[in-house]
Amino acid sequence: MAKKKRIGSSFAMYAMLAPYMALLIVFGIVPIIMAIKEVPAPSRVNQDGGWDAFKIVLQDFRFLPALKHVLGFMAIYVPITTIFVIAVALMLDINPSKWKKWLRLAYIVPASISGAVAVLVWYVIFAPTLSPIKPVLNALGIEKSEEIWQTKNLTWLFAIMAFFVVAGNWILIQYGSLQSLSQEIIEAARMDGCSAFQLGWRIKLPLIKKYIIYMGVLIFAGGLQLFVEPQLLNTGVYAGIAEAWSLDQLSFELAFTSGDFGGASALSLMLLIPSLLGALIVIFKTDMFEEAEVSGKRKAE
Amino acid sequence: MASLLKINRRAYKLRQENPVAAFFVNAFLIFFAVVSVVPMIWLLLAPTKTDADLSNKNPLMFGHLSGYIDAWKNLQYFDDGVIAKWAWNSIWFTGSIVVIATITASLAGFVLTASNIKFKRTFLISTLITMLVPPMALVVPVFVLMDKLSLMDKPISVILVSSLYPFGAFLSYIYYSTTIPKELYESARIDGCNDFQLYLKICLPLSGPLISLLAFFAFIGNWANYFLPYILLPSSENYTLPIGMGFLFYSTPAINPAVGATSVPVGKPEIALAGVLIALPIMIVFLISQKRLVRGMLSGSIKE
Repeated sequence: MAKKKRIGSSFAMYAMLAPYMALLIVFGIVPIIMAIKEVPAPSRVNQDGGWDAFKIVLQDFRFLPALKHVLGFMAIYVPITTIFVIAVALMLDINPSKWKKWLRLAYIVPASISGAVAVLVWYVIFAPTLSPIKPVLNALGIEKSEEIWQTKNLTWLFAIMAFFVVAGNWILIQYGSLQSLSQEIIEAARMDGCSAFQLGWRIKLPLIKKYIIYMGVLIFAGGLQLFVEPQLLNTGVYAGIAEAWSLDQLSFELAFTSGDFGGASALSLMLLIPSLLGALIVIFKTDMFEEAEVSGKRKAE
Repeated sequence: MASLLKINRRAYKLRQENPVAAFFVNAFLIFFAVVSVVPMIWLLLAPTKTDADLSNKNPLMFGHLSGYIDAWKNLQYFDDGVIAKWAWNSIWFTGSIVVIATITASLAGFVLTASNIKFKRTFLISTLITMLVPPMALVVPVFVLMDKLSLMDKPISVILVSSLYPFGAFLSYIYYSTTIPKELYESARIDGCNDFQLYLKICLPLSGPLISLLAFFAFIGNWANYFLPYILLPSSENYTLPIGMGFLFYSTPAINPAVGATSVPVGKPEIALAGVLIALPIMIVFLISQKRLVRGMLSGSIKE
């Protein structure tokens, strides 16, 4: 007896999914498998091959400093960005200004200044002879760029650069999430005598919790992969100021300067784990994508 | 209109409740707006001035519009005008990525909504995971793969890798499941539509807002991308504008004190012009599409 064909599972459906599926498999999954296979391959630093590649990377004299830099950077960048974004979004939400639309437009402008452009712009902002904030720098007693661009200040400098790239976008997004809250709840809380600040802290914040977690995970995962700014600063502006400063830079150094692809792959895999965990938390521990999951499950049944 | 009234009422409340707080909130919001736009204003003004004027005159003063033309001409002395090639590379790489990513993601979203294929949930979950992991995490593994496939230093490598667009597939999936009622598929099938026609005749005509959303996110994610092309395309003629700009830092004394004087007239105004070429298109797209940004990032959890 011929098996009854399920509706909507024709060849055409598979054919339409194929291009995306091919990209997902070849560039999303295969590289991870290849990286796993690359790790134990014998190399100059890991002559006998094997999983010692992980140990060798962890013992590399540049690993611990790079890890410290990235953790220091994250400790500043992630909480400050998250708190600032939420605070500004809440302020926008209760703000009586008629120019709200213009404020939102202004906030999004720095998002276009990232990577190479960000290095140029921040170089200028912190250069006392060129800076649009000259009076501020003078007031702080800074006379030369070199007083700011020192290895010990890099954590803050990169945190500032990264903050401006992402903050505006997230302010708009969180403002959108606040605007979507049910007006009835807000009105009811207000009837009960909530002030604007209590309303923000006790009612609105808990209601947008899942968006805050979503944002926190994406900001965290992005911050962990710090590469462009330190790399450009190190190669193009102040030579040697940020040599193998971040973990991604170290992974790049291992691969392209030392030719140690096993080590580079091992480090990449280690860096992938926190991002994967973050993704799994957002997917399974918040209801951010619940609808997607439920309908996926339902249709699969 | 009703929601506008509500928002105004919400705002009015704060002013009434605590005028001092309202003043400070406003002042802070305006201050942050000014801080946000100053760097871009400097960048846009820099090519209108000469290198000397940048140091001697007010940083936020306008120079001469002809400065843009002079800076562009000066950039032509660098490596036989390779900047034009970089700009062209940026345009055609990003253009190809936007087209391929948008088409594949939209098709995938449709199939995930309208089909009953096997492993659908697995695909959905892998899409969500890939979407939340930053693409930079896979750059070194992707390099290893490209090296094995002998696709190094070929633009197709960057275009293909960047065309994997899980966020787009997810957006399409949400879009089609919320805007197209299941009954429409059923009745179209009864009318004799096959699955290809279902997409072409039912979904595609209703996909306008989705396509613009997909193209927007694909563009902003790729126009200024640095890490991937930096690693996969090592030859100067394959650089995109961001990589080229980094190369200008490295090889001219504009902002690199270690490079001695050269005969190539590339200084800060010229470098800033390269920066404008990268940042301005993104800024324009952001400014006209800010609603898309919010809608896209919150899709799936906010019902409109």
